[in-house]
Amino acid sequence: MHDRAVPGAKGLITVLVADDNDVAQRLCRRVLEKAGYKVLIAVDGLQAVEVAMSQRPAMILMDVAMPGIDGIEAMKRIKAQIPNQPIVIASAHSMSSDRERFLAAGADDILSKPFRLSDLVAIVAKLTAPK
Amino acid sequence: MKPNRTRGLVRRATPILAIAVVIALQTGLGLPPVLVFPLYLLIVLLTAFYSSRIDSLFCAVLAAIGVSAPAILGGTSGDLAVPLLLAAVLLVVAIAVHEVVGRIRAEAVGAERMAMELQGREERLRITVEAAQVGLALVGADGGWLLVNERLCVILRRSRAELLHLTVVDVTSEHDQGAISEALSMLRSGDILRWEAELHQVRGDGGRVPVEITIAAVSDHPGGERVLLVQETDVSTRKRVEGLRDGLVAVRHTIVSATTWEQAAPQLLGALCAHLDWDLAQYWAVDTDLQALRLRQAWHRDGAAFEEFHNQSRRLSIASGEGLLGRVWQSGIPAAQEDMSVATDYDRVAVALQAGLRSAVAFPVITGGSVIGVVEMLTHQPRMIENDLVTMLSTAGGEIGNFIRRAETAQALRRSEADHRAIFERSPIGIARISSEGELLEANTALLTMLEHDFQVMRSHSWPDLLRAYDQAAARARFSPLLAGISEGKSVQVRAGTGGGNWLWLQLSATSIPDASGRPEHVLVMVEDVTVVREAQDKLGEALESQRSANATLEKLDRTKTEFLSIVSHEFRTALTGIQGFSELIRDGGLEPDEVRAYGGYIFNDADRVNRLIGDLLDLDRMESGRMSIRTADVDINEVLSDSIARAGSSPSVEFKADLDPRLPIVVGDRDRLVQVVSNLVNNAVKYSPDGGTVTLSSRAEGGFALVSVTDTGVGIPPDEISHVFERFRRVRSGAAQSIPGTGLGLTIVKQIVEMHAGKIWVESAVGHGSAFHFTLPLAAENVTPLQRRHA
Repeated sequence: MHDRAVPGAKGLITVLVADDNDVAQRLCRRVLEKAGYKVLIAVDGLQAVEVAMSQRPAMILMDVAMPGIDGIEAMKRIKAQIPNQPIVIASAHSMSSDRERFLAAGADDILSKPFRLSDLVAIVAKLTAPK
Repeated sequence: MKPNRTRGLVRRATPILAIAVVIALQTGLGLPPVLVFPLYLLIVLLTAFYSSRIDSLFCAVLAAIGVSAPAILGGTSGDLAVPLLLAAVLLVVAIAVHEVVGRIRAEAVGAERMAMELQGREERLRITVEAAQVGLALVGADGGWLLVNERLCVILRRSRAELLHLTVVDVTSEHDQGAISEALSMLRSGDILRWEAELHQVRGDGGRVPVEITIAAVSDHPGGERVLLVQETDVSTRKRVEGLRDGLVAVRHTIVSATTWEQAAPQLLGALCAHLDWDLAQYWAVDTDLQALRLRQAWHRDGAAFEEFHNQSRRLSIASGEGLLGRVWQSGIPAAQEDMSVATDYDRVAVALQAGLRSAVAFPVITGGSVIGVVEMLTHQPRMIENDLVTMLSTAGGEIGNFIRRAETAQALRRSEADHRAIFERSPIGIARISSEGELLEANTALLTMLEHDFQVMRSHSWPDLLRAYDQAAARARFSPLLAGISEGKSVQVRAGTGGGNWLWLQLSATSIPDASGRPEHVLVMVEDVTVVREAQDKLGEALESQRSANATLEKLDRTKTEFLSIVSHEFRTALTGIQGFSELIRDGGLEPDEVRAYGGYIFNDADRVNRLIGDLLDLDRMESGRMSIRTADVDINEVLSDSIARAGSSPSVEFKADLDPRLPIVVGDRDRLVQVVSNLVNNAVKYSPDGGTVTLSSRAEGGFALVSVTDTGVGIPPDEISHVFERFRRVRSGAAQSIPGTGLGLTIVKQIVEMHAGKIWVESAVGHGSAFHFTLPLAAENVTPLQRRHA
């Protein structure tokens, strides 16, 4: 698994995509690499926490419905360690009550699935922009 | 003193000097004794008359010496005899005269002393009469007072002068005048000598005084007419004390012989008036509602006109502290209005004075420390109220009060006894009176009617059952059994059978009736038939319960629907993420042909997944709404199983095994649906065997059914989830199975299809060892095997 979570090359901004759906993984990797980011993949919540700690990505794109600990729990654990770690929840749970739940849990932003590719790129650009 | 003594000396010295003068004359002149003898005799006589015996004898001796001395001293014997004789005569005369004079004088002194004594005795008698503690008087034959002593004046409160103008009849009370007049006439005529009586006389101020009177005829007056001696004693004190005592005795006597106050009151008030000499008495009761005294009973002497006084009294409501009666009520001690004419706070002054009432006294009727009434007594006489009367009235007030309380309690008891009896007999509620041991003593008509038993059966059977039921119900309600302690105000409902075979709901509540010492003597149990109420309650309860459960179902349904929507939309969006994303990539161009092909594959798979999802949802909806029909035909289930293995053969890691009974008869069913069932179970078996393993399909006939099993050696289902595997979207997500995709509708549909074929489906599973899904399908009626059919 670690072979997929390769440390980012020098100069490139690293983005961690945590999603158990391999179609979603492939799509995000393809789009974000094309946009010039270094993409790391985690297939479940625990792996997402582990990679976030070890690789310190510039931002994390986090699915919610994942085996093991879900995206919300993973986000909480990461934020507990790295409070200013930008995390975007990317979920197919898109009811308004879900949005509120995610924001209350500490999400920096939300990307509803399915998404326009430009939205994906824009939200990643926004959260990785130098402050 | 001195002049007296001087006079005595002169008197005593005078005869001596006279004799000395005579002696001197005789001696000087030399007179013969015969010539001087008369002088001597004169002196001796005078001395004998006026001087004491010693003095007169001394004078006589001196005179004798004077007469005889010259002759003796002269010495002539012839002359001597005459002087001696003369001397002797003088002595004899002196003695004799003195004796006579002394006797006469003594007699005179005695007479004078006697007169003085008589005079003193009269004076003493007068003083005695005057000072006598009894009234004494002389009256003439016409009854006119002739002589009265001071005491009599005091008794009658009249002056002596006033009395002397009146007769004994005039000062006697109207009531007694007849008697005394008759007595006087009899005394006058001599028919009787002495008359005694107790009667009332009238004082100068109009007051009456009781006296004991004795009239006796005395000897004729010097004037010739017959006079009478009257002796009177004021017995008012004695009469009053007797009156007080007799009054109290009468009060007690009345109280003892009466049962109600209404009955006792007139007699008691009358007795008080008679013994204490009052003319009118009224009993005023404290009306606790009005907070006022109201006239209740009255008594007055015959013949008196008190109508207006009574009428006004009846109209009156007297507040505490108001007027004489109000004050007595407030203070609880007797009070009096001794002189009505100067009364300032007596409420009926005018009408009282009009009726001639002059004095009033009132005393409280007290029981248990509180005033329950006031007795008022009035009289025509002005009356001083003595302390002993106050004491007596206080005592009487207490006794009357206690009597009234006793009488009222007794009356209330009698009334309440009657009331209770009526309530018991006529109550529409069943009432049972039971002993402290629980034995039925009495049951009213309502109870016997309610339970359709006679008293005997009620006592021997029905009642003990009821008591047991009560105790059981009480235990459930956590209060004590009936006989262990009455829980006042608590009631229980019990089921009871009647003599007529009906079942009733009875509500029982118990009340203990204490005896005089406060111990429970017996217990009253009220029994109400609450069957109608209870059944209505039960129905209402059921209705409420079903409403509640319907509501819960609806809520659950609503939650399930929301949850279902959420899950379905998530599934769709997840699938659409790939479709939309990769199609956008392709649309935007600039891709390698390999990339386009790969992305097209992703899009196809996800689109297929969406399609399946929609198919499943539609199937489910049709099945649940009963709109799905199955096209029945003969189906060779072994063939279905074999085809399924063949289709799934491409799975890389799982080994398939078939254990099919070749003699399994054909079943009746919808082949396509049965294929759907089997492929679903097989797909699941494969999905949940991520590390490879064996999937076994078996079939056999069992009791008219074909039993089909799909067994894997995969992850298994946790025990807490096994009962939910056939529910919608209940995908096993925990443990090793959590990453396995699916619509979550497959098993739900499978179950529906099996049940539509009148079969059953169930699962056995052990985590880490795998699962076995079994389902049954009914065999065709002819019970032929596919082989037989093919050969037929």
